[in-house]
Amino acid sequence: MKLSRPSIRPSRIALHAVMILLVVWSVTPFVWTAQTSIKFTRDVASKTPVLWGYETTANAYRNFWLDSDDVNMWGVLAFLLVVAAVAAALGLIGRRARHGWPWFLGATAVICVALWRFPRFWEANDEYDFLVNSVVVTLLTMLISLSIGLLAGYGLARYTGISGAVILIVALGFRALPRTAFVLPYFFGAKEIDEWLTSTGVGSWNFPLIDFPGIDTLQVLDTRLAIVLALVAVNQPFTIWMLRSFFIEVPKEMEEAAMMDGATRLQAFRKVIIPIMWPAIIATGLFTMLLAYNEYLFVRVLAPTEWTLPVAIVSLTGGESSRTITEAAAASVSITLPIVIVIILFQKHLVRGLGAGAVKG
Amino acid sequence: MNRRTFWWFTIPSVIVMLALMVFPLITTVWLGFQKLLLRDLNNPEWVGWDNYRDVLSDPEFWAAVQFTLVFVVVTVPASMIFGLAVALLLDRIGRGRAVYMAALLLPFIVTPVVGTLIYEDLFERGGLVSWLWEVFTDDAFAVSASNVKVLIVVQYIWYVMPFAMITFFAGLQTLPEERVEAAALDGAGFWRNLWHVTLPHLRLLVVFVGLISVMDAYRVYDSVFVWTGNRFTEAHTLAVYNVRIATAFDIGRLGKGNAIAVLTVIGIFVVLIPFLWRSYRDQIAERT
Repeated sequence: MKLSRPSIRPSRIALHAVMILLVVWSVTPFVWTAQTSIKFTRDVASKTPVLWGYETTANAYRNFWLDSDDVNMWGVLAFLLVVAAVAAALGLIGRRARHGWPWFLGATAVICVALWRFPRFWEANDEYDFLVNSVVVTLLTMLISLSIGLLAGYGLARYTGISGAVILIVALGFRALPRTAFVLPYFFGAKEIDEWLTSTGVGSWNFPLIDFPGIDTLQVLDTRLAIVLALVAVNQPFTIWMLRSFFIEVPKEMEEAAMMDGATRLQAFRKVIIPIMWPAIIATGLFTMLLAYNEYLFVRVLAPTEWTLPVAIVSLTGGESSRTITEAAAASVSITLPIVIVIILFQKHLVRGLGAGAVKG
Repeated sequence: MNRRTFWWFTIPSVIVMLALMVFPLITTVWLGFQKLLLRDLNNPEWVGWDNYRDVLSDPEFWAAVQFTLVFVVVTVPASMIFGLAVALLLDRIGRGRAVYMAALLLPFIVTPVVGTLIYEDLFERGGLVSWLWEVFTDDAFAVSASNVKVLIVVQYIWYVMPFAMITFFAGLQTLPEERVEAAALDGAGFWRNLWHVTLPHLRLLVVFVGLISVMDAYRVYDSVFVWTGNRFTEAHTLAVYNVRIATAFDIGRLGKGNAIAVLTVIGIFVVLIPFLWRSYRDQIAERT
């Protein structure tokens, strides 16, 4: 605790007053949108905002997510709260337990199952598919990005040859490149692959494992796969730099001791290094999650119909849509809440990750 | 670690970067020499430097370059100084710090297109700011060509400040207290303390945040696109201009779009290469 910094010592009240002003600056748009999302259109449309005593409604949320107009939204809310409570309970146990990860995995599984079963209880709109796309894309991007990033980050932290330095610097250069330098080649590459798949007939083979409902041919363009590959690629430079800076902190003696006992390098990596790397994995994972969940341009170009939520929301506010301002607000709240909950839960890891990742970088 | 093991560990990542970054980049350069239209994707035609001539003589390109530079030069220092100030305040807070931090982080974690949409809503008819504006000035507020650039810049600082804040805050946590106290005993005031003790400690972080911020501000797309769409073309940054040229309704000129992308890449590398060279030297020095 560093409460007594010398010189300018503002009284606590002044300090908190300034902080509250800053909080107002940063959260006003969110509060405004949240109150818009629970109003009736007539109150929103008036030129002088109705700030107090308006009637609240969940209409906007119902219209955005559900097909039918006469669903009791309290039921939906109760369902969401139950799922959240179960996931939170599992997460809390995981925090206390010696090996937390099976519990965290369980919490994720509960949320995924709830997401999958939800349309069986309530008839959902197209927007629901975009939510599912968002979740699938985010989880797959995190999984692939971290798996190959951990291996490379470890290799780059331990190897002392020139090629390691070259890879790191080239990766740093790639971090600076705009999306526009990649998106058209990705589009053409995916199109070429699809044409090849169709011309050779491979595209119409039946692969039971990747046979998602609604997809009867194998293709790349306009699938979640295309989005995931693009995101993994542009995220790779950041991932390897950040993970490498964590691996450098781990003393070499740790895996050397294990290798003396007859373990191979890969075994030592898996059994000794990975278990102490969880803070690093969580911190890097959070940044990957933000990148994947928030992506707009790649999804827009590579997936003309298989949207994720950001594209759905932007197109909803465009001229061609008849949706109301309250629905746009409800959609904004819905897309923001999950990410806010995750970040609040893991806030400490985010701060620590930036500290560790950056001091070295 | 020997060379062989190193490559086994690194090869998956290197393959991804070769296949999905190096190869596409080469394709981009190649496409920049083609005449290629959105409505006729299958008949590229080699036109040499025509696309580049076309871009360099396009006043809209130079307008985009100009606004992008102004955007970087204003938002990067502003968000860093603002972020440092908030981090210093946050560092003095005892109780309630986690709550303040969560609230201050919000703009940074929200999806950029959504964050921009809800920020813009404050300025639309019936929005909070537009209403307050009318109460105090009796004029209706409207987002227009004359104020949209300022709004874009302010909203971007709102969005990106938490990144500087949280990174500097993390750095402040590792500042040894004795150093600050020793400086105070020597009679250093707040500013001298900041200049001689705190900032030198944060030096690497300042470079890190500055580098990341310049990269991200230079290629900004999402928020500027939401503010302007196809209106207010004079407030388009390079990336927005690029996408507009490549996808313009019916006449999308992909060849020209790629030429713009190549010029954008060259632009950032002019700034970056000295820095990359220095990091390379540091890396080599660290290894031997």
